[in-house]
Order: sequence, then structure tokens, then C-alpha cells
Amino acid sequence: MSRSKKTVAKPALWRLVFVASCLFVLFGLLVSRLVILQVVDQDRGARFLQQQGAMRSVRTAEIPAYRGLVTDRRGQPLAVSTPVVSIWANPQQLKDPAQIAGLAMTLGQTPEALSERINLYSDKQFMYLARHQTPDQARSILDLELPGVRGEREYRRFYPAGEVVSQLVGLTNVDGEGIAGIELAFNEWLRGQTGKKRYLKDLHGDAIRNIGVIKQPRSGKALALSIDLRLQYLQHRVLQRAMVETGATAGAAVTLDARTGEILAMTNHPVFNPNSRGGFDYAATRNRVVTDVFEPGSTMKPLTLVAALESGEFTIDSLVDTSPGRIRVGRKVLPDPRNYGEITVSRVIEKSSQVGVTKIAQQLGHESILDVFQRFGLGEPSSIGFPGERSGVLPNRQRWSDIEKVTLAFGYGLTATPLQIAHAYAVFANKGSQVPLTLLKRSDSELVPGRQVISGEIAEQVLKVLNRVTGSEGTAQKARVEGFQVGGKTGTVHKVGEAGYLDDQYVALFVGVAPIEDPRFVTAIVVDQPKGDNYGGGAAAAPIYSAITDGVLRLHNALPAREDDPPQFVGLGGGA
Amino acid sequence: MSLRILPTGLLIAALVSALAVVYSSHVVRGLYSKQQSVEYRQWELQEDYSRLLLEHSTLASPHRVVSIAQDDLAMVSPQLSIHRVVQPQSRRQR
Repeated sequence: MSRSKKTVAKPALWRLVFVASCLFVLFGLLVSRLVILQVVDQDRGARFLQQQGAMRSVRTAEIPAYRGLVTDRRGQPLAVSTPVVSIWANPQQLKDPAQIAGLAMTLGQTPEALSERINLYSDKQFMYLARHQTPDQARSILDLELPGVRGEREYRRFYPAGEVVSQLVGLTNVDGEGIAGIELAFNEWLRGQTGKKRYLKDLHGDAIRNIGVIKQPRSGKALALSIDLRLQYLQHRVLQRAMVETGATAGAAVTLDARTGEILAMTNHPVFNPNSRGGFDYAATRNRVVTDVFEPGSTMKPLTLVAALESGEFTIDSLVDTSPGRIRVGRKVLPDPRNYGEITVSRVIEKSSQVGVTKIAQQLGHESILDVFQRFGLGEPSSIGFPGERSGVLPNRQRWSDIEKVTLAFGYGLTATPLQIAHAYAVFANKGSQVPLTLLKRSDSELVPGRQVISGEIAEQVLKVLNRVTGSEGTAQKARVEGFQVGGKTGTVHKVGEAGYLDDQYVALFVGVAPIEDPRFVTAIVVDQPKGDNYGGGAAAAPIYSAITDGVLRLHNALPAREDDPPQFVGLGGGA
Repeated sequence: MSLRILPTGLLIAALVSALAVVYSSHVVRGLYSKQQSVEYRQWELQEDYSRLLLEHSTLASPHRVVSIAQDDLAMVSPQLSIHRVVQPQSRRQR
């Protein structure tokens, strides 16, 4: 007994030392490993571990930004972003057939179609179930609280004015980027900058804590167009009705304010509804006012008149002999409807006499006419920066045949857009000065000075002639507006087909300036392929001009003036 | 003496700092939930705003105004013969 007691009382010291040092070494290994991981080895140590941790739990999410509002000049909304919710799911977590059936019912789909789609994405972590749901719809789906089904906030673009401004305002794609029209041209201005935030997620993917905002979202800026929605609507309605009446395939109309260079209305036919993306006709998305070029025809005769007046060889009262009602140029004979005999230059334009214009052109030479066209901005793009805008072409030949020199004077051999034609006429409406065009509202302080293209006297003379075109002898009596004096010029152009000019297909044009005493508004009308006998500019396009201009003048409170029955002037508050 | 105070001081400092961490993360959580509800409110208001904007422009659309004026109220555009031009008088004349 005593021997064993002795053994217990006296343990060997080396054993204690051995165990202690073993433990110490193990502890040291642990510490050194820690030091290696945390401090020494960055690539496979601390940084690697942090990355791996973050990959499993930290996520960044986009914070959607509000796209700027597009309004007309009076603040009426034309394009509005509204909050919507896109529903997405993680297909890995969506397996239960009962849940899929319930989800399909809420989404308005058949369970078979939905499970087929889920199978399609079965190896993915993300799929959209329904994009751009209204917040109420989304709530009803999210309230099912299915695993892996979540909502994501987005914005969707709505166009309250619908088809009335569809081609002008354009479209955004499903991700909110402009793809056409103003939406594309001013995308940088309108678009917001999406923000970014970082958050921690749990095993199921739900956000449990925000770490912080990396980038603040910035809302897009609002844009006020020069368009007046009231006028736009009026123009749209008149144009659509006229399209039905004339049976035309397409049409375009544009109204400008010649003093400020603002485009007040711009409409096209056919139209599309920008709020429903289901299968619209792509031809209808084109803004024909700026994208379609054609030969302007007789609407260029007033510009030839400018060349004639500037040469000093003609006044509007000079006489031109147009008998016998036809003239031979080269191998071609240009006829008038009948023999007008000896008539004034003014009457040549009023009647749109081919013979008269030919004689004037032959005397002037084509160079001076081409020079006027150039000065009026034809063949050059306008300053509006509209996507897909075309500039038309002015002929640039080495050798001019006799017929080419003459046809230039009545608007063949060059091409222009309706906007360019209207802009050329704006010179007459603004005392010979041409103000650069804009689609944006110009406040009084932002007015841009015009470029003096012709003298004010010549502009006045041309206006006088344009007014007579709507008079009792002119070709555009249907362009008259009750209570106002207007002026303008018709044009009827043969369409060009594969084998040259087509005999039975026309483009009818009218460009007008109103009111004559205080000219300001220029409207150009193009009717493509009017059917029946009334295919001419005077029959197909002039009535549209009259209806539109009536509205333009009414909306701008222009003072009616009639020679036969002057309006009564009544003072306010009695006793003038 | 000072050697004995040092660990106690450090212990207290560590405790204070630990409690401060607890407190500040509590404050952060509170502020975060506040921010969330404010953001949600902003979202809701924007939802309302754009809905009202759309409703307003639908109700006031020229198309609707014209159809109400013409069909429901039997209004017509005034003929020129019934126009009266009113000239504002200057102050001195009055």
C-alpha cells in the first residue's frame, strides 16, 4: 500500500512537461495558422475567405431610377413612367405542382404552360414569371408567399396621348431605354441613373440586412416639347379623317411657328398604339414628316419665283406669254391644262402654269434657282436631331440637260422631307429670315436669331402671290380659312416606281402660311397615293390644310378679319 | 499600483466599447427600418402620382373633351358670324 501511495505522490515530471509542450505546440500551430490566414497569405488567406463568404451572402441589387417625364409645351404629359413590379422566380425552389397550379391561376396561365416554362429554366437560378405587373396585380401574386417567387421594382413607360403622338415621342424597350423618336433622341437626358445597393441575404435569398448604398439612383430630367397637344390632336383627327375620305395609303402633316422655329404639331398616318406592344406594323412607327423624302413638285415654284424676283428681270406683275398652252423642251412637251395666254408672273404661280415657269426658268438659268433652294435649307438636315431624319438631295450634276434645268424649277429632280418644305416656307412667314427648327419648347429668353435668307420685300411679294393662290383664280381655293387670309401652294407629284414615274400614282402636297397680314404659322401636308379623281394637291391636301389652320388660328387667338363683314369691335365694360 | 489599474481599465474600456457596438447596431437597425418604410412610402406616392397623372390626362384628353362637348352637350364650334371681338381698354380710358 505504502509503495503505491508513494508512486501517486511522486509523478514523473517529464510526463507533465511532455503533455504541456504537446498542447503548447498544438496551440502554436493554431495561432500560426491563424496568422498565416489573416495576415501573411493574402491570396489564399483572408481575402480569399472574405470573397467566399461574400459570394454566399452578399448581393448587390439595382435601385431603379425614374425616367423623366415628357410633356407638351403646356405641361400635358406625353410619356409617363409608372412603378410596376416584375415577378421572378428561382426555378430550383419552385417544384411543388400544387403551388405551380396556384401560381399559374393567379398569373392567368395554364398550369401546363407554366410548368413547361419552369422546366425550360430548370438548371437556372432566375426566370421572369411576369414582367411589368401593376402593383396591385403583383401584390396578389406575392401574397401567395411561394418559395423562390419574388418581386422586383421597375418602371414602365405609359403614353397617355397614345397614337396621337406615337411616332414623335417614340418608344422605350422593356428595360426603359429609348429605342425610337424623342425617347431615343433625348435618351441621355431622360434616363435616370440606376443606383446600386448591397445587402446580406439568407439561405432562401431573402434580404436580411442592407449593407449600404453604393450608388445613389438619380432621376431622369423632364423634357418639355414644343408640341401643343391640343393642336397635335386636332391635326391628327383631321388627317385621319382625310385619309379615309381620300383613300390614301399614307399621310403626314407638320405645323411650325416660323418666328420661334418651334414645331407645334407633327402627325402621320398610319398610326400605332404605343401602349400595346403586341404586333404593330413597323411602317406605322415611322415619323414620315422627317424620315420620308419625295420630290416636292410645284410647291417649289414660289422658290423659283424668289430667284426670278432677285434677278431683277421680273416683278410679280411682269407679263409672260404662255400661249399656245404647251412648250417643247428637248424631246418633251410640257402642257398646261389650257391656254392661259399672256399672264402675269403672279398668275403663273396661281395657276401653277408649267409653260410660264418653264419660260421663267429658261431665262434665269438653273444655277440661280439651285442657289435659292440651297439657301432655303433644302438638301441639309434640320437641327432637330430626330432619329432617322433624312435630308433629301439637291442635284449636283456636271452636265445639265435642257429638261433637267427646267424641271428643277418646278420641283422635280430634288428630294425633300415635309419638314424641310415647311421650313423653306417659314422664310416667307418670317420676313425672309429662317429660324433653326426645334422640337423643344423655347422660352422667350431662349429664342434663336434667324438667318436672313431673302430680303423682307421679296418675302412680302411672295406672300402676296401665295395669298392669290387661294383666291378665285388660284388652284387652292379649298385651302381658304373662314375669317382669315391665308396663302400657300399646291403640289401634285407623280410617284416614282421601278420604271420611272408612275402615271396613276400621285403624291398630293400643300404648304401654307397663315395669317397673311401677320404671318406666323406654316403647315405642310403630304397625302400619299390619294385614290379617285381628287388626287391633286388642291383637292386632296388643301382641305386638310384649311381644317388644320382653322384650329391653329383659333387656338392662338388670331383676330379674324373679313372684307365683306368686318367683325364688330366691342369694348370691355361698355362705353368705348 | 498603476500596473493593477491598467487591466481593470482595459476591461472596462472593452466592455464600454462592446456595449457601444450593441447600441450603434441597434440604432442602425432602427434607422434602416425607418429608411425602408420611407422608401416604401416614396414608392407608393410615386405609384399614386403617376396613376393620378395618367387618370388626369385620360379624363382631360382632347378626344374625350370633344366627344363630351359634341355628343353629350351638343356643343358646336362658333360660326364666324356670331364672333364678337373684344378689345381690352387701357386703364386711362376707363
